[in-house]
Amino acid sequence: MTREISVELQNVSKYYGTEKVVDEVSFSVEKGEIFVLIGPSGCGKTTTLKMINQLIPHTSGNILVNGVDVTKLDAVELRRSIGYVIQYIGLLPHLTIQENIAFVLKLTKKSKKEQNERALELVETVGLQANYLKRYPRELSGGQQQRVGVARALAANPDILLMDEPFGAVDPLTREQLQNELLRLQESIRKTIVFVTHDMQEAFKVGSRIGILRQGKLVCLGTPMEIVRSEDEFVKNFIGQGALFEVLDTIPVLRAIEKDIPIVSEKGKVDLSDEKLKGWENIFVTNDHGQCLGYISLDSLNQDGTFSAGQIEPLPAGCSPEVSVKQAVEEMLWKGKTWLPVISEDEGFKGIVLFSSCADLLAEDRR
Amino acid sequence: MEGVIGFFQYFWDIREMVAVLTVRHAWMALAGVVLGTLTAVPMGILISRKPKVGVYVIDFAGMLYTIPSLALLGFLLPFLGLGWLPTITALVIYSWLPVLRNTVTGILGVDPAAKEAAKGMGATPYQLLMNVELPLALPVIMAAIRTVAVLTVGITVMGALVGARGLGELIFQGISMMDNRTILAGTIPVSIMALSFDQLLGLLERKLKVVTSSA
Repeated sequence: MTREISVELQNVSKYYGTEKVVDEVSFSVEKGEIFVLIGPSGCGKTTTLKMINQLIPHTSGNILVNGVDVTKLDAVELRRSIGYVIQYIGLLPHLTIQENIAFVLKLTKKSKKEQNERALELVETVGLQANYLKRYPRELSGGQQQRVGVARALAANPDILLMDEPFGAVDPLTREQLQNELLRLQESIRKTIVFVTHDMQEAFKVGSRIGILRQGKLVCLGTPMEIVRSEDEFVKNFIGQGALFEVLDTIPVLRAIEKDIPIVSEKGKVDLSDEKLKGWENIFVTNDHGQCLGYISLDSLNQDGTFSAGQIEPLPAGCSPEVSVKQAVEEMLWKGKTWLPVISEDEGFKGIVLFSSCADLLAEDRR
Repeated sequence: MEGVIGFFQYFWDIREMVAVLTVRHAWMALAGVVLGTLTAVPMGILISRKPKVGVYVIDFAGMLYTIPSLALLGFLLPFLGLGWLPTITALVIYSWLPVLRNTVTGILGVDPAAKEAAKGMGATPYQLLMNVELPLALPVIMAAIRTVAVLTVGITVMGALVGARGLGELIFQGISMMDNRTILAGTIPVSIMALSFDQLLGLLERKLKVVTSSA
C-alpha cells in the first residue's frame, strides 16, 4: 500500500541575499503523522516550516501540499487551509476566546452561528470549559492560552497543522501535559502535523519521524529509534547521552507488558505441573471482576496447590496502561522494584511489566 | 464677591454673542480634528508599511508643528484668504504630527505574534489591518486624537486674528480693552469645550473598543 503524502519538499532552498538559510532540503510528510523538525537555533527549522504555508516564500525547489505546488495556490487560501500554531501563541488580546477560536471562520465570512458553534465544540476538544469562551486571553494561564491556540488552528478543520515550538513558552509540567493532550487528540483527529521544536525529548515524544537540521541542511531523517542509532557525530552530540532512554518515552508500556503471566482465580487452586509456571517465583491471584488481589510465592503454596487468603501478598502500587515505558522504568527505579503491575483506571489488571523486558525493547527495532 | 456677580451679570448680557461664537468655535475645532484625523491616520498606516520612508514624512510633520500658530496663519493668509478656511487648515496641519506619529507607533507596536498568527491563519493585508492592527493600535491613536482635540480648541482662538470669528474674538477684544471680564467670557467656554472634547473622545474610544471586539 502506498502511503499518502500530505506535504512534500523537493530540494527546497531559501536565500537571504547570498546567505543560504535552508539548503536543498527534501522530505515528505505522510498523511496523519507527526513529523518533527529539530535543530539548534538558526538551523532553518522555523524558516522551513513557514515556507510550507508561504509566510516565507522559498527561493528554489518545490513545495507540494496535498500534491499541489504551493506557488500555484493563492497564499491566503493556502494558509486558511492549514492550521498554524506558534510559540508566542499570538491570541488577539482584544477578542474573546470564542472570537479567537473562530477567527479563521470570520476571515472566511462564515455565519456568526457557525462561528459560535465551532468555538464551543473546539474549546471542549482541547479540554477547556465552555465558560472560558466569553473571557479574554489575558485572563487565561499560558497553558490554557496555548490550548486556545490549538483550538484556533483546528477551527477550519484543516488536514494539515503547522506547529512552531508550540509548547516552548510554557513551564515544563504544563508542556508535558500539553504534549500528552496533543498525542491523545491526535488519536482522534489524525491530522498531518509538521512540528518544530528544539527540545529533543519533545521530538522523541511526539514525533513519528524526526528530521534534524543543521545550518540549513537536513542531516538526519528517521524514526526516533533510527535517530538514536545514528552514527553521525553531529546527531550523536545533538541528541545527547540520554537519548536512548528518552526514546522509551515514546513507547507505550502496553508494548512491554508480560502477557503470559501465571494467574490463578481466588477460588481455584494452582496446577503445579503447568508449563506456564516455569521461570516464575510468584503467581498472581485474580477475582471474577478481572481485578488482581495480589500474588503468592510459589514456594509458600500448599502441596496440592491450594492456598488461603492470608497467604496472598498485596500488589505494589502499579502504573496505568497509558504511561510510557520510560515512566514505568522510572517508577521501578524510584521504588527499587524489578517489576510493576499495570492497572487500568477501573482497577482492571492488565498484567505486569518487567525491568528486563523494558531493556530488551531497546535492542529490537521499532518497525 | 461683587466682581463675581458682576462678571455673571456681564456674561448674561452678552450670552447671545457668546453662544454664537462658541458654536462657531466648536465646529471649526471639530472640523480641524476630524479632517486632521482623516488625513493623518491613513497616512500613518501607509508610513507604517514603509517605516524607512516614513521617518521623513514624520520629520516634515514635526517641522510644520514647530511653526508658531500666528506665523502659520500669516503664511496661509495670501493663499486662503481670511476666515475659517486658513484657521481650519492650520488646525489640520497641527494635528498631523501627533496623530501620524501615534498611528505609526501604535501599528508598529502591535504584538508581532498576534500579527504572525493572523497572517498564518490566512488574513489578507486588509483583514489584518482592520481586525488586528487598527484595533490593537486604537488606544495609542486615540490618545493622540484626544491631545489634538484639546490643543485644537486652544489654537482655534488664534483664528480670530484672521477673522475666523471664534471665542478668540472675545479674548482679543478683552485684551485690547484691558477688560478681564471679556477675556474670561471667551476663556471659560474655551476651557470647558476643550475638556468636553476630551471626555467625549474618551467615550467614543470605549464605544469603538466594544465595536471592534464584537465585530
